Amino acid sequence: MGLKPPNLLIVDDSTAIRKILLRVLSQTGLPLGQVLEAGDGKEALKMMEGHDVSLVLSDINMPNMDGIELLRTLRGSAQWHNMPVVMITTEGSQAKVQEAAALGATSYVRKPFSADLLRDKLASLLSK
Amino acid sequence: MMTKTAATVIFLRNEEMAAMLFAATQEVFTSMLGSEVKRLSEPEAEQLTSFDGVLSLVGLVGAVIGNGALVCSAEAACNLSSRLLMTEFSTVDEEVLDAVGEITNMIVGGFKNLLETHVGRVQMSIPSVIYGKSIATRNSGANVAAAVHCAFPGGEIALKIRLAARP
Repeated sequence: MGLKPPNLLIVDDSTAIRKILLRVLSQTGLPLGQVLEAGDGKEALKMMEGHDVSLVLSDINMPNMDGIELLRTLRGSAQWHNMPVVMITTEGSQAKVQEAAALGATSYVRKPFSADLLRDKLASLLSK
Repeated sequence: MMTKTAATVIFLRNEEMAAMLFAATQEVFTSMLGSEVKRLSEPEAEQLTSFDGVLSLVGLVGAVIGNGALVCSAEAACNLSSRLLMTEFSTVDEEVLDAVGEITNMIVGGFKNLLETHVGRVQMSIPSVIYGKSIATRNSGANVAAAVHCAFPGGEIALKIRLAARP
C-alpha cells in the first residue's frame, strides 16, 4: 500500500490568499490529501485536533491569535512540536523574521511572492 | 523636544516616501497581479472631495503612527481582484473587498518594510475595506504624507500614506 498523501493546513485571515495558496498547491503536481483552511491561529489549533496535518502554512498578522503565537503554541505542545510551519507574510521586519526563526519556523516566505518560487519551495518541502 | 524618530520622518521628503510607496506598489503588481503599473502625475494639493468606490485602509503604529490607504473605483477593484484570484468579478462583493484589502496589505507592508530602515520598528493593523458612495476622508495630525496615483490596464488607483511622529 502506498504512503498516505499529506494533509495541509493554510492559516490566513484573507480568503484571497487562501485561494491563491490552494491554486499554487494544486500546481505542485504532488499528491496531496486534504487542504484545510483556517482564518486565524485559534481556528487552526481546533482544526488540527481533528485532522492529521503534515504541514502548516501560516500568515503572521491575523486577528484572535497571530502566526507567531500559533507557532509558539505548536512548539510548546507535545503533539506538534516538530510540525513543519512555513510563515507566509507581508511582515519583513528583521525582528519578526528572527522571532519566527527562533521559534523554529521551517521557512519564511514574504508577500508579495512569485507563484513559481513559492511552488518550487512548497514542492521541495512536500517531497521531503 | 523632538525625538530622533520624529526628526527622521520629517527629514524624509514626500517625494522619497512616494518613491518608496511606488516601489512597493510595483512589486505587488509584478509578483501577484501579473500586470504593469505606471505612475501618473500627482495633483498639486490633496482635495477634500468625496468619491464613489472602494477605500481600503491599513493602520501603522510603532516608531511612527498613521495609515496607508488605497482608493479606487468599483470597476478597478473588480479588475484588481480578477487579476489576483484569476476569476472574473463584475460586481463588488465580499471576495473583491477581501482581495483589495490583501492588495493594500501587501503594498503598505512593502512600504512599511522600506520605512523601517529609516525610522525603526513599525507594525501594521489588519486591513479595513469600505465600499460606498460619497466617501469622504479626513486625517488629523498627520505631518508627513505621500500620495501616488497609478494606472494599470484595468483602471487607476490612488495610494496615500499619512504619518505622524508618535506622541
